[in-house]
Amino acid sequence: MTIVFLTLSAITVLGALLAVTLRNLVHCLLALVLFFMGIAGHFFLLKADFLGAVQILIYIGAVAVLILFAIMLTRNISGTEGGRGSLGGAWWLGVGIATTLAGAMCVFVRRSDLVSKLPYGATEEGVVKEIGKLLVTDWVVPLEIMAVLLTAALIGAVVIALEEEKKR
Amino acid sequence: MSVPLGYYLILGGVLFAIGLCGALTRKNAIAVLMSIEIMFNAAILNFVVFWYYLHNGALTGQMFALFAIAVAAAESAVGLALVISVYRHYKSVDVNEMRSLKG
Repeated sequence: MTIVFLTLSAITVLGALLAVTLRNLVHCLLALVLFFMGIAGHFFLLKADFLGAVQILIYIGAVAVLILFAIMLTRNISGTEGGRGSLGGAWWLGVGIATTLAGAMCVFVRRSDLVSKLPYGATEEGVVKEIGKLLVTDWVVPLEIMAVLLTAALIGAVVIALEEEKKR
Repeated sequence: MSVPLGYYLILGGVLFAIGLCGALTRKNAIAVLMSIEIMFNAAILNFVVFWYYLHNGALTGQMFALFAIAVAAAESAVGLALVISVYRHYKSVDVNEMRSLKG
Protein backbone atom coordinates (compact mmCIF):
# COMPACT_ATOMS: atom_id res chain seq x y z
CA MET A 1 0.00 0.00 0.00
CA THR A 2 2.71 2.46 1.01
CA ILE A 3 4.80 1.60 -2.06
CA VAL A 4 1.79 2.09 -4.36
CA PHE A 5 1.04 5.41 -2.66
CA LEU A 6 4.63 6.62 -2.98
CA THR A 7 4.90 5.59 -6.65
CA LEU A 8 1.59 7.26 -7.54
CA SER A 9 2.56 10.38 -5.61
CA ALA A 10 5.91 10.56 -7.40
CA ILE A 11 4.15 10.27 -10.79
CA THR A 12 1.59 12.91 -9.82
CA VAL A 13 4.12 15.43 -8.48
CA LEU A 14 6.42 14.85 -11.48
CA GLY A 15 3.53 15.46 -13.88
CA ALA A 16 2.51 18.64 -12.06
CA LEU A 17 6.10 19.94 -11.96
CA LEU A 18 6.64 19.27 -15.68
CA ALA A 19 3.27 20.84 -16.57
CA VAL A 20 4.29 24.00 -14.73
CA THR A 21 7.90 24.28 -15.96
CA LEU A 22 8.11 23.00 -19.57
CA ARG A 23 8.35 25.67 -22.26
CA ASN A 24 6.43 23.96 -25.06
CA LEU A 25 2.70 24.13 -24.33
CA VAL A 26 1.90 20.77 -25.95
CA HIS A 27 4.53 19.10 -23.77
CA CYS A 28 2.94 20.88 -20.79
CA LEU A 29 -0.40 19.37 -21.76
CA LEU A 30 1.06 15.86 -21.98
CA ALA A 31 2.58 16.31 -18.50
CA LEU A 32 -0.82 17.53 -17.30
CA VAL A 33 -2.41 14.32 -18.64
CA LEU A 34 0.19 12.36 -16.63
CA PHE A 35 -0.83 14.38 -13.57
CA PHE A 36 -4.54 13.65 -14.17
CA MET A 37 -3.72 9.92 -14.51
CA GLY A 38 -1.86 10.06 -11.19
CA ILE A 39 -4.86 11.69 -9.48
CA ALA A 40 -7.19 9.05 -11.00
CA GLY A 41 -4.86 6.37 -9.66
CA HIS A 42 -5.10 7.94 -6.20
CA PHE A 43 -8.90 7.84 -6.48
CA PHE A 44 -8.79 4.13 -7.30
CA LEU A 45 -6.41 3.59 -4.39
CA LEU A 46 -8.87 5.39 -2.09
CA LYS A 47 -11.64 3.04 -3.27
CA ALA A 48 -13.53 5.86 -5.01
CA ASP A 49 -13.61 3.94 -8.29
CA PHE A 50 -16.53 5.92 -9.73
CA LEU A 51 -14.66 9.17 -9.17
CA GLY A 52 -11.56 7.67 -10.79
CA ALA A 53 -13.57 6.80 -13.90
CA VAL A 54 -15.16 10.27 -13.89
CA GLN A 55 -11.70 11.83 -13.55
CA ILE A 56 -10.43 9.92 -16.60
CA LEU A 57 -13.57 10.67 -18.64
CA ILE A 58 -13.85 14.36 -17.84
CA TYR A 59 -10.26 15.47 -17.35
CA ILE A 60 -8.29 13.31 -19.76
CA GLY A 61 -11.16 12.86 -22.21
CA ALA A 62 -12.69 16.33 -22.26
CA VAL A 63 -10.61 19.01 -20.54
CA ALA A 64 -7.27 17.89 -22.03
CA VAL A 65 -8.73 17.86 -25.55
CA LEU A 66 -10.36 21.26 -24.91
CA ILE A 67 -7.00 22.69 -23.82
CA LEU A 68 -5.34 21.13 -26.88
CA PHE A 69 -7.85 22.87 -29.16
CA ALA A 70 -7.28 26.16 -27.35
CA ILE A 71 -3.50 25.75 -27.83
CA MET A 72 -3.97 25.06 -31.54
CA LEU A 73 -6.38 27.99 -31.98
CA THR A 74 -4.01 30.47 -30.33
CA ARG A 75 -0.95 29.44 -32.36
CA ASN A 76 1.93 30.27 -29.97
CA ILE A 77 2.84 26.69 -29.12
CA SER A 78 6.44 27.40 -28.19
CA GLY A 79 8.82 30.32 -28.10
CA THR A 80 8.88 33.34 -25.88
CA GLU A 81 5.26 33.13 -24.73
CA GLY A 82 5.61 29.59 -23.46
CA GLY A 83 8.19 30.54 -20.86
CA ARG A 84 8.32 31.67 -17.28
CA GLY A 85 8.63 35.09 -15.74
CA SER A 86 5.38 37.02 -15.82
CA LEU A 87 6.00 39.25 -12.80
CA GLY A 88 8.37 41.53 -14.71
CA GLY A 89 11.34 39.19 -14.42
CA ALA A 90 10.53 38.56 -10.75
CA TRP A 91 9.46 34.95 -11.24
CA TRP A 92 11.23 34.07 -8.01
CA LEU A 93 8.48 36.01 -6.21
CA GLY A 94 5.84 33.52 -7.40
CA VAL A 95 8.07 30.57 -6.52
CA GLY A 96 8.74 32.12 -3.11
CA ILE A 97 5.02 32.62 -2.38
CA ALA A 98 4.24 29.03 -3.43
CA THR A 99 7.12 27.59 -1.36
CA THR A 100 6.06 29.61 1.68
CA LEU A 101 2.49 28.33 1.30
CA ALA A 102 3.67 24.72 0.96
CA GLY A 103 5.91 25.09 4.02
CA ALA A 104 3.12 26.65 6.09
CA MET A 105 0.71 23.88 5.07
CA CYS A 106 3.23 21.18 5.98
CA VAL A 107 3.80 22.79 9.41
CA PHE A 108 0.07 22.99 10.15
CA VAL A 109 -0.58 19.46 8.88
CA ARG A 110 2.17 18.15 11.15
CA ARG A 111 0.69 19.98 14.15
CA SER A 112 -2.82 18.65 13.54
CA ASP A 113 -3.97 15.56 15.44
CA LEU A 114 -5.49 14.17 12.24
CA VAL A 115 -2.04 13.31 10.87
CA SER A 116 -1.83 9.77 12.18
CA LYS A 117 -5.51 9.00 11.52
CA LEU A 118 -6.10 5.69 9.79
CA PRO A 119 -8.97 4.93 7.36
CA TYR A 120 -12.48 4.60 8.75
CA GLY A 121 -13.49 0.95 9.16
CA ALA A 122 -13.84 -1.20 6.08
CA THR A 123 -14.76 0.80 2.99
CA GLU A 124 -16.76 -1.44 0.70
CA GLU A 125 -15.81 -1.37 -2.97
CA GLY A 126 -18.14 -0.73 -5.87
CA VAL A 127 -20.57 1.85 -4.55
CA VAL A 128 -21.47 3.03 -8.07
CA LYS A 129 -25.02 1.69 -7.75
CA GLU A 130 -25.51 3.56 -4.49
CA ILE A 131 -24.14 6.79 -5.99
CA GLY A 132 -26.60 6.46 -8.87
CA LYS A 133 -29.50 5.98 -6.47
CA LEU A 134 -28.43 8.94 -4.32
CA LEU A 135 -28.11 11.19 -7.37
CA VAL A 136 -31.80 10.79 -8.26
CA THR A 137 -33.13 10.82 -4.68
CA ASP A 138 -31.37 12.91 -2.04
CA TRP A 139 -29.18 14.84 -4.46
CA VAL A 140 -31.65 15.46 -7.26
CA VAL A 141 -31.87 19.25 -6.71
CA PRO A 142 -28.08 19.79 -6.84
CA LEU A 143 -27.99 17.51 -9.90
CA GLU A 144 -30.56 19.63 -11.74
CA ILE A 145 -28.81 22.86 -10.71
CA MET A 146 -25.58 21.37 -12.05
CA ALA A 147 -27.33 20.57 -15.34
CA VAL A 148 -28.50 24.21 -15.60
CA LEU A 149 -24.98 25.42 -14.74
CA LEU A 150 -23.38 23.23 -17.41
CA THR A 151 -25.92 24.40 -20.02
CA ALA A 152 -25.29 28.04 -19.08
CA ALA A 153 -21.51 27.45 -19.26
CA LEU A 154 -21.85 25.83 -22.70
CA ILE A 155 -23.96 28.68 -24.09
CA GLY A 156 -21.73 31.25 -22.42
CA ALA A 157 -18.57 29.69 -23.86
CA VAL A 158 -20.04 29.70 -27.38
CA VAL A 159 -21.23 33.33 -27.04
CA ILE A 160 -17.88 34.54 -25.66
CA ALA A 161 -15.87 32.74 -28.33
CA LEU A 162 -18.08 34.01 -31.17
CA GLU A 163 -18.47 37.64 -30.10
CA GLU A 164 -15.41 39.15 -31.78
CA GLU A 165 -16.09 37.37 -35.05
CA LYS A 166 -19.35 39.26 -35.55
CA LYS A 167 -17.77 42.69 -35.06
CA ARG A 168 -15.10 42.11 -37.68
CA MET B 1 -1.18 -1.28 6.20
CA SER B 2 -2.71 1.90 4.94
CA VAL B 3 -0.94 5.25 4.76
CA PRO B 4 -1.82 7.77 7.52
CA LEU B 5 -3.93 10.78 6.60
CA GLY B 6 -1.05 13.23 6.96
CA TYR B 7 0.78 11.83 3.90
CA TYR B 8 -2.17 12.61 1.68
CA LEU B 9 -2.65 16.08 3.20
CA ILE B 10 1.00 16.93 2.51
CA LEU B 11 0.68 15.57 -1.05
CA GLY B 12 -2.40 17.77 -1.60
CA GLY B 13 -0.61 20.79 -0.17
CA VAL B 14 2.46 20.25 -2.36
CA LEU B 15 0.34 19.82 -5.50
CA PHE B 16 -1.63 22.98 -4.66
CA ALA B 17 1.62 24.91 -4.15
CA ILE B 18 2.98 23.68 -7.52
CA GLY B 19 -0.23 24.84 -9.21
CA LEU B 20 -0.09 28.20 -7.44
CA CYS B 21 3.54 28.63 -8.50
CA GLY B 22 2.56 27.98 -12.12
CA ALA B 23 -0.44 30.33 -11.98
CA LEU B 24 1.76 33.12 -10.59
CA THR B 25 4.78 32.72 -12.87
CA ARG B 26 3.54 31.58 -16.31
CA LYS B 27 3.10 34.14 -19.06
CA ASN B 28 0.77 32.21 -21.33
CA ALA B 29 -2.91 32.41 -20.34
CA ILE B 30 -3.48 28.75 -21.31
CA ALA B 31 -0.59 27.68 -19.08
CA VAL B 32 -2.17 29.70 -16.24
CA LEU B 33 -5.45 27.81 -16.82
CA MET B 34 -3.55 24.50 -16.72
CA SER B 35 -2.01 25.52 -13.36
CA ILE B 36 -5.50 26.35 -12.09
CA GLU B 37 -6.60 22.85 -13.12
CA ILE B 38 -3.72 21.44 -11.03
CA MET B 39 -4.93 23.42 -8.01
CA PHE B 40 -8.52 22.22 -8.59
CA ASN B 41 -7.38 18.61 -8.71
CA ALA B 42 -5.35 19.00 -5.51
CA ALA B 43 -8.48 20.30 -3.75
CA ILE B 44 -10.67 17.49 -5.15
CA LEU B 45 -8.07 14.93 -4.04
CA ASN B 46 -8.38 16.36 -0.54
CA PHE B 47 -12.18 15.94 -0.63
CA VAL B 48 -11.80 12.26 -1.54
CA VAL B 49 -9.05 11.72 1.04
CA PHE B 50 -11.15 13.19 3.86
CA TRP B 51 -14.10 11.10 2.68
CA TYR B 52 -12.01 7.92 2.75
CA TYR B 53 -10.54 8.57 6.19
CA LEU B 54 -13.48 10.13 8.05
CA HIS B 55 -16.71 8.87 6.44
CA ASN B 56 -19.30 7.06 8.56
CA GLY B 57 -20.66 4.89 5.81
CA ALA B 58 -22.04 7.97 4.00
CA LEU B 59 -21.18 8.91 0.42
CA THR B 60 -21.49 12.70 0.87
CA GLY B 61 -17.77 13.30 0.36
CA GLN B 62 -17.75 11.50 -2.98
CA MET B 63 -20.84 13.41 -4.11
CA PHE B 64 -19.20 16.70 -3.19
CA ALA B 65 -16.09 15.77 -5.16
CA LEU B 66 -18.30 14.80 -8.11
CA PHE B 67 -20.03 18.20 -8.15
CA ALA B 68 -16.67 19.94 -7.71
CA ILE B 69 -15.39 18.11 -10.83
CA ALA B 70 -18.49 19.25 -12.78
CA VAL B 71 -17.97 22.87 -11.72
CA ALA B 72 -14.28 22.64 -12.67
CA ALA B 73 -15.25 21.36 -16.13
CA ALA B 74 -17.65 24.29 -16.63
CA GLU B 75 -14.93 26.68 -15.44
CA SER B 76 -12.34 25.35 -17.87
CA ALA B 77 -14.78 25.56 -20.83
CA VAL B 78 -15.61 29.21 -20.09
CA GLY B 79 -11.99 30.04 -19.29
CA LEU B 80 -10.70 28.67 -22.58
CA ALA B 81 -13.46 30.51 -24.49
CA LEU B 82 -12.29 33.70 -22.76
CA VAL B 83 -8.68 32.96 -23.74
CA ILE B 84 -9.72 32.53 -27.38
CA SER B 85 -11.76 35.74 -27.24
CA VAL B 86 -8.80 37.62 -25.72
CA TYR B 87 -6.51 36.17 -28.40
CA ARG B 88 -8.82 37.49 -31.14
CA HIS B 89 -8.73 40.92 -29.54
CA TYR B 90 -5.04 41.30 -28.65
CA LYS B 91 -3.52 38.78 -31.10
CA SER B 92 -1.67 37.33 -28.11
CA VAL B 93 -2.34 35.20 -25.04
CA ASP B 94 0.42 36.83 -22.96
CA VAL B 95 -1.13 37.85 -19.65
CA ASN B 96 1.32 40.78 -19.42
CA GLU B 97 -0.18 42.39 -22.50
CA MET B 98 -3.73 42.41 -21.12
CA ARG B 99 -3.50 45.76 -19.37
CA SER B 100 -6.36 47.82 -20.81
CA LEU B 101 -7.76 48.36 -17.32
CA LYS B 102 -4.41 49.43 -15.84
CA GLY B 103 -4.58 52.96 -14.39
